[in-house]
Amino acid sequence: MSTTDIGPKGPVGQVGEAVVEYVDRRAGAKTGITWFLKRNIPSETSWFQTLGFAAMATFGLQAVTGMILAMYYKPDPTTAYSSIQHITNEVTWGWLVRGMHKWGASAMIILVFLHMARVFLFGSYKYPRELTWVTGAILLIMVMFMGLTGYLLVWDQRAYWATVVAMNITASAPIIGPYIADILRAGSNFNPDTLSRFYSIHMLVIPGGIATFIGLHLFLVSKLGITEPPWAKRAMRARRAEEAAARAAARERAPQGRREVTVAPATQPVKVEAGQ
Amino acid sequence: MKRAEQEAYERDYAQAKKEGKPFFPYAIYKDHIVAILVFAAIIGMAIWQRVGVGPPVYTATSTFEPRPEWYFFFLFQMLKIFKNQNALLPVIMATFIVPNLLMGLLIATPFIDQRAERRISKRPFALSVAVLVFVGIGWLTYQGETGAVPVSGGAITFTGITPGSAAAAGQTIFANSGCTSCHMIKGSGGQVGPNLTNVGTLGKTSTYAGTIPVKVPGVKGPVYSGENWFVLHTECPTCATPGSAMPAFANFTAKEYQQLATFLNGLGTTYK
Repeated sequence: MSTTDIGPKGPVGQVGEAVVEYVDRRAGAKTGITWFLKRNIPSETSWFQTLGFAAMATFGLQAVTGMILAMYYKPDPTTAYSSIQHITNEVTWGWLVRGMHKWGASAMIILVFLHMARVFLFGSYKYPRELTWVTGAILLIMVMFMGLTGYLLVWDQRAYWATVVAMNITASAPIIGPYIADILRAGSNFNPDTLSRFYSIHMLVIPGGIATFIGLHLFLVSKLGITEPPWAKRAMRARRAEEAAARAAARERAPQGRREVTVAPATQPVKVEAGQ
Repeated sequence: MKRAEQEAYERDYAQAKKEGKPFFPYAIYKDHIVAILVFAAIIGMAIWQRVGVGPPVYTATSTFEPRPEWYFFFLFQMLKIFKNQNALLPVIMATFIVPNLLMGLLIATPFIDQRAERRISKRPFALSVAVLVFVGIGWLTYQGETGAVPVSGGAITFTGITPGSAAAAGQTIFANSGCTSCHMIKGSGGQVGPNLTNVGTLGKTSTYAGTIPVKVPGVKGPVYSGENWFVLHTECPTCATPGSAMPAFANFTAKEYQQLATFLNGLGTTYK
């Protein structure tokens, strides 16, 4: 045993150990956490490889500030604007929570794009991480839709008319465009249900999708491992060794047409069939 | 990627992992430092740049500014490039084809680029695509940020409009309804919609079988032209111009529609 094992545990330790043991026997929690946290990653990783986590953490921040805003916000055309004013001017720290939610949205979009740029420039989307990229691309699109649906909720002039134009653009798409616009607007025109529909999409539908895809994305990242930057010292060393081996092989190769004849050593013992 | 290259990568990565170190705590501490810096920046911005509330929604006069949040500027700016000027620049490029193409290419990236090489210095095509996309989006975003600020149409003077006439009333409605947020007229205004300086000379005609929301005396389908076309286009832009992104102005009175249409129909001919 390790040096931390310094004698019998006290009652608290015993209970704690029993609880962990109980859960692990049934849920495999210890195995899962060990698999997730204690897996090895390449020894050289770049600071640019922290952007994905930062984007996910910002999603958590958006979820928490969004929950607080939802406690005060009223998704109704007659009261939405005044509830925003109430949050901004009267609720304790309301201005801060709303400010964090708004700036958090911008930060999340920047982080998601920078994370994508990092993955692209590192070539991390290549085999075997293609599906990690696909889930990430879907996440990026969903984050953009979060921005689109959240924008209307403020219910001021800019928000309203920008969304009217966005819905007209949606409706102008061929074949299914008008149907999608009707579904988003809850009708063929802006109406009192439009706001609550956008609210529901913004705080229930898309966050559910984002959470699901973050789960898939994280599972794939953990299973396949974090990529090593292409300029990592170990990778360079391995590449140099490979190139040196290739050069040596080329040097030792006999000139064209005068190939040495070597007898390959038998790797398998010669089978002797019965009866011979 | 060929099977042999895939296997070579797996061997190489297994070696990197063997020589590596555990995710906890070596990667997670870096992640947390960056996340804390990001949170600090968000809180800092929230304190430094207080988020305000704009004027409340008022659907009737709509002196509006249809500008989205900054992260949609690159899509918004495309509306200023593709405006149906000619067959090569249809508005559907900005509203449908380019955004969906970008989404499709984004998802399909790992299936398009199947080469094993990961060093960006050895991937000139991938590097140029990345630079092109980021510079393009960045430039369009910058253009959207600093783009033409809506100008009130009231300050623009026209020859041929007599005070008290229907056209003068139409000009006032035009000036007060935020039309110049999108439309350029005599050198001032936005660039999202078509330039209206000479719109009366274009001889716009549309066939629309349905009914318009507000009945205007003398305006009837199915063929709309002249002033009637402008009434139809104001009440229901997509009825007159399929694919139009213009919001419907459905809250004027019949008389106001008539006055606005008189003004617009004379632009470039009677009113210059």
